[in-house]
Amino acid sequence: MIKKFIGKRVMRNEDPRLLTGQAQFVDDVEIPGMLHAAFLRSDYAHARLLSIDVSAARQHPGVVAVFTAEDMGDDWFPGPPLVSPPPTAKDVTFHSRRQVPLVKDKVRHAGEAIAVVIAESRYIAEDAVEDILVEFEPLEAVVDLEKALEVNSVLVHDDLESNLAAQMFQQKGDYEAARQQADLVIQRRIVIERGAAAAMENRGIVAHWDAKSQHLTIWDTTQAPIPIRNGTAARLGLSEHQVRVIAPFIGGGFGPKIMMFYAEELVIPWAAKKLNRPVKWIEDRRENFYATTQERGQVHDVEIALSRDGHILGLKDNFLHDTGAYDPYGLTIPLNTQSHDMGGYDIKNYSSEFKVVFTNKTIVTPVRGAGRPQGIFVIERMMDAAAKELGMDAVEIRKRNLIPPEAFPYEHKIIDQAFAPLIFDSGNYKAVVDKALDMIGYDKFVKEEQPHLRVDGKYVGIAIAPFVETTGVGPYEGARVTVEASGKINVATGIGTQGQGHFTSFAQIVAEQLGVEVNDVRIVTGDTTEFHWGTGTFASRGAVVAGNAVHAASSIVRKKILKLASKVLEAPEDELELEDGQVRVADIPQKSVSLGELAVLANPLRGAVEPGTEPGLESTAYFGPQYGATAFGTHAMILEVDPETMMIKIRRYVTVEDCGTVLNPLILEGQIHGGVSMGLGNAYYEKLHFDENGQLLNASFADYLVVSATEMPRIEVGHLETRSTLNELGAKGVGEAGAIPVPALFAQALENAFHDRKLEILEMPLSPNRLFELLNEEKSR
Amino acid sequence: MKLEGEYTFDGTREDVWKMVRDPQVLATCVPGTQNLRMTGENEYEGEIQVRIGPIAGTFSGRLLVANEVPPVSCTLTVEGTGKVGFLKGRGDVALSEQGASQTLMKYTGEVQIGGKVASVGQRLFDTVSKSMIKQGLDKLNEILKTSLA
Repeated sequence: MIKKFIGKRVMRNEDPRLLTGQAQFVDDVEIPGMLHAAFLRSDYAHARLLSIDVSAARQHPGVVAVFTAEDMGDDWFPGPPLVSPPPTAKDVTFHSRRQVPLVKDKVRHAGEAIAVVIAESRYIAEDAVEDILVEFEPLEAVVDLEKALEVNSVLVHDDLESNLAAQMFQQKGDYEAARQQADLVIQRRIVIERGAAAAMENRGIVAHWDAKSQHLTIWDTTQAPIPIRNGTAARLGLSEHQVRVIAPFIGGGFGPKIMMFYAEELVIPWAAKKLNRPVKWIEDRRENFYATTQERGQVHDVEIALSRDGHILGLKDNFLHDTGAYDPYGLTIPLNTQSHDMGGYDIKNYSSEFKVVFTNKTIVTPVRGAGRPQGIFVIERMMDAAAKELGMDAVEIRKRNLIPPEAFPYEHKIIDQAFAPLIFDSGNYKAVVDKALDMIGYDKFVKEEQPHLRVDGKYVGIAIAPFVETTGVGPYEGARVTVEASGKINVATGIGTQGQGHFTSFAQIVAEQLGVEVNDVRIVTGDTTEFHWGTGTFASRGAVVAGNAVHAASSIVRKKILKLASKVLEAPEDELELEDGQVRVADIPQKSVSLGELAVLANPLRGAVEPGTEPGLESTAYFGPQYGATAFGTHAMILEVDPETMMIKIRRYVTVEDCGTVLNPLILEGQIHGGVSMGLGNAYYEKLHFDENGQLLNASFADYLVVSATEMPRIEVGHLETRSTLNELGAKGVGEAGAIPVPALFAQALENAFHDRKLEILEMPLSPNRLFELLNEEKSR
Repeated sequence: MKLEGEYTFDGTREDVWKMVRDPQVLATCVPGTQNLRMTGENEYEGEIQVRIGPIAGTFSGRLLVANEVPPVSCTLTVEGTGKVGFLKGRGDVALSEQGASQTLMKYTGEVQIGGKVASVGQRLFDTVSKSMIKQGLDKLNEILKTSLA
């Protein structure tokens, strides 16, 4: 019997190293002669830079150099546009304004880097930063999205006519006609504010220029080492082969670490090369709050048209999206919001225009969820509003509108974040919803338990929120699989790892193909010397895109193994089986050869081989999907609120995910748990408070509450598997899934808990304080 | 952020006014003031040491007195910058007689803060500024009482 590894609950290969402190992180890199950098950052959100005097800082003992924008000379130019606007869409307005290495003329958000001090130690560098004298002319800050678009608003970018960064319209069917047919039209304004990704490890870079070998090595906490390598080489006028970027173990990515290039990524390698000394910069937590990208700020004006029996006839959603001071990440987030605006529902008519707005706040790029939670929050809030207006059950109205299984592939006739047509490849949505209802005991709770709890004066609400997640988008990833003479397997792929368990899930894919144990497969990720084609870890695509590349490469190696073994064992290929690192003749198990022996035979030191022979048992393969696979899930919860303090207790939390083929349920559950914790933060704890001057008022963990163990519920995870039709593994992504429906679920549960009050939640994130205010507003109405 | 409050002095309005307009007196009363120099008829410059929770640093800046109606009211404008951020404020102060020997001071104002003071100190700024004002006014009142005794 051939051993199966895919779908098995295999413990993670990487954990022993991580748990015993043996894993290398960027800050672990120590190089003799290494210098340390600290940045001077603006206290103002918006100000003209009148003058900088760095002379005292340069005199500071232990300081090696101080650089400003001027010192960079011709090497000073903005970062590259990371994502361009969709080339195929019509009538797209897009003004590309990219982040700069160091501010030259105008500060556009608090925390923007103005100068860098490079010194013998970080302590000295930080002290010398305080010796820099800067003269600012403070300007009024652009903070509010609607005010930003008023004609008389101050401009973030003086060369533009307004603060409009981009504008785009998409439609499907004919919303206005659908509206005419409707029995009910509901309008709402929905406001979503920013949160931080708050990865455990902040960003960091070490750059080492070796003048003798003319080679630059960069250790970077990036989710995209290969694009960083290519971009750095281009900026510094080096060949791509003179630059090696290593993204070692990273304590969480969550999206902001794929933003390219951060100011520090532009400055540190440049400084290291200029000084001919290794330079290290490790971001501190306060810098992380200002200088690492954030997400979620949107204002939606939504309208839903329904028939009396609860069928959605159409949806219209015009919204504003906050991109912060620059827009290097193009339209990814608002396009994702549009792609999720219709959830998993069969909506024939859709109309949506978004406007992207420049503000004097930290740059916005995707954070786990990346526009999807906003779309799901919008549609789910409208579903709840519709259910109440129509006097329908919250579950029934949802089930009535789900895309039926026979409708797949379901084409939405709009484009997604990858500019590909938005098509949901496969799914069985109702089955997932039913499973979640069943797991949480929805009917029993509503009919039997909740009435008693209410009599006892308890505020306990139940909620269910289905959602889609577009995942696994292109363009492509690759992998190289090699059987070594030891019989062990080495695999290299271009994507980086920030805790997703790639060292195990990819090893399982290989182990199943090649008949070896999972821990006999060594995985290398995020080192451009090991593999130098690829894009990065984002959009819930690692397992899908890189996973399928690993699968493709190992399938080819399997064929090579069988071909060679067939010769060696003098048996036809179809009679051979791979198990325990051996190739055996199925009926004569003692007739076998090990993978290690085959690897040696495939790479002879002397003698002749057939022309056209490739050495070794090795293959490199790539995978690029036609379009992204779309996963589906449903979360359900029972939530109790203390009506005095507004503190909450989650009594039950159920998730059912259908992410196609499950590679490793243990890793998948970990992804879900992490996602839910971020979602809970987005719902009730984590809100970045900017004042009207663009000052972030809670830039520390004393004031910004990241969900901790005490807030986390026990999560019950269920799975259903509807294979993706777009790749051989049948996999769909799940990295962001956990975070997506939580605010929508939370809002529904709160309204259900306070069913006797006219509470309607149209904003996120909430807090105990804000809930108290909303309930009091309702009382005074 | 808004600041608002009142304080009763044990002295006549004229006495309070005189004291408030004396930079030497003010410098000894405003907590953390390291230096306060009169640079014009209604203009002062100086340095003040502030500690807000984990944030401590020196602000140097200007204080302007305007709209003066002795001994009834005036408007104060403050601007300061330092290594821990910046602050900008404007406040109206009004004195009214409270019986023969007491004076009621009412003040309202707005303060803008930025940098580390805002991002890390914001939560405590309100409490710290209130307690600094209270300390300062208590000290003023003590000086006033001593001078009148």
